Amino acid sequence: MSAVYKRGRAELAANFTPMIDVAFLLIVFFVLVSRVVDMENVQIALPAPHPSATTTIIGEERIVINVRAVGERAAGYQVGPRLFLPDDAGCAALTEHMAALYRANPSVSVNVRADAAIRYDDIEPLLQAVSLGALRAELGDFVPRINLVVNKAEETR
Amino acid sequence: MTMGSHDQPIRFDQSAEREGDVIAHTSARKRRGRERPRITLNLTAMIDVTFLLLVYFIVATEFKIGEEVFQIDLPPRLQSDRERDPFRLDEHPLRISVQSTPASAGGTGYRLAIEGPFTQPATFEELYVLLRDQQIGPDSMRGLFEVNHPIIIQPGGATRWDHVIGALNAIKRARYTNINFAKPQ
Repeated sequence: MSAVYKRGRAELAANFTPMIDVAFLLIVFFVLVSRVVDMENVQIALPAPHPSATTTIIGEERIVINVRAVGERAAGYQVGPRLFLPDDAGCAALTEHMAALYRANPSVSVNVRADAAIRYDDIEPLLQAVSLGALRAELGDFVPRINLVVNKAEETR
Repeated sequence: MTMGSHDQPIRFDQSAEREGDVIAHTSARKRRGRERPRITLNLTAMIDVTFLLLVYFIVATEFKIGEEVFQIDLPPRLQSDRERDPFRLDEHPLRISVQSTPASAGGTGYRLAIEGPFTQPATFEELYVLLRDQQIGPDSMRGLFEVNHPIIIQPGGATRWDHVIGALNAIKRARYTNINFAKPQ
């Protein structure tokens, strides 16, 4: 009898190594990415003017501020994981936060995503806070920019 | 006698060497009639995972309407009064008031008012037409305002955000560039 048959028949076995590799890579990917995306793209009923004179921004560095509505009032200003209440203390904290963000990256744009039903007197303090934050960051001649986000209205055919 | 790549003893065929032909050698394993095991990659599991992912993304992907933006430059407040040109005269800004109204009467749900001797616009479309017609352009010198004439949107405190955006959109459509928001009335 040859040496091959002395060892016995070859066994069929599934190679789990690549599957486990891919699975762990996916877990890491979703843990890192889904959190950021969820915080930036909060479900908000944005205004949708039609026909609109909007522009599309691609690849610009940005800070997203979401303003959720409770009825017609703002529930708070959400910047990443932080939520600032729409009162004097919250606006002061938001101003300091924006100043720190502007100092870290002066050329960053600020995207404001606000619910269509919110009253203007809950939006204006946010615009003031961003403006004051840019002022405190002392950006020199650089003019900070706010992007007011709306939904692109579908064309009527 | 030398050692092969897998430490297998190689035996030279003495007869071939003598005749000047190609030196042939056979490993001990081959001489015993045994094939070397083939190294193969098992792709089945990876393909399974790939298709699972494909199904996941097809099911979980949510198709959203694209978002676009209105770009507004924040006013440059860094410039102090002593740094400003003392001979520069500020242009009087055009103020456009926006108020939300109860929509139950079948109206538009908002009321617009514009400073000056103009026919007051009832809708955002009329506001756009008015501002476009009053613009000084290369084709028309009948207008009153340059493209960079300052325009201030003056919403009420209770004005809905989509009405503010509607007014902004009308002004942007008319290609004005110097737009700001006022404090709520």
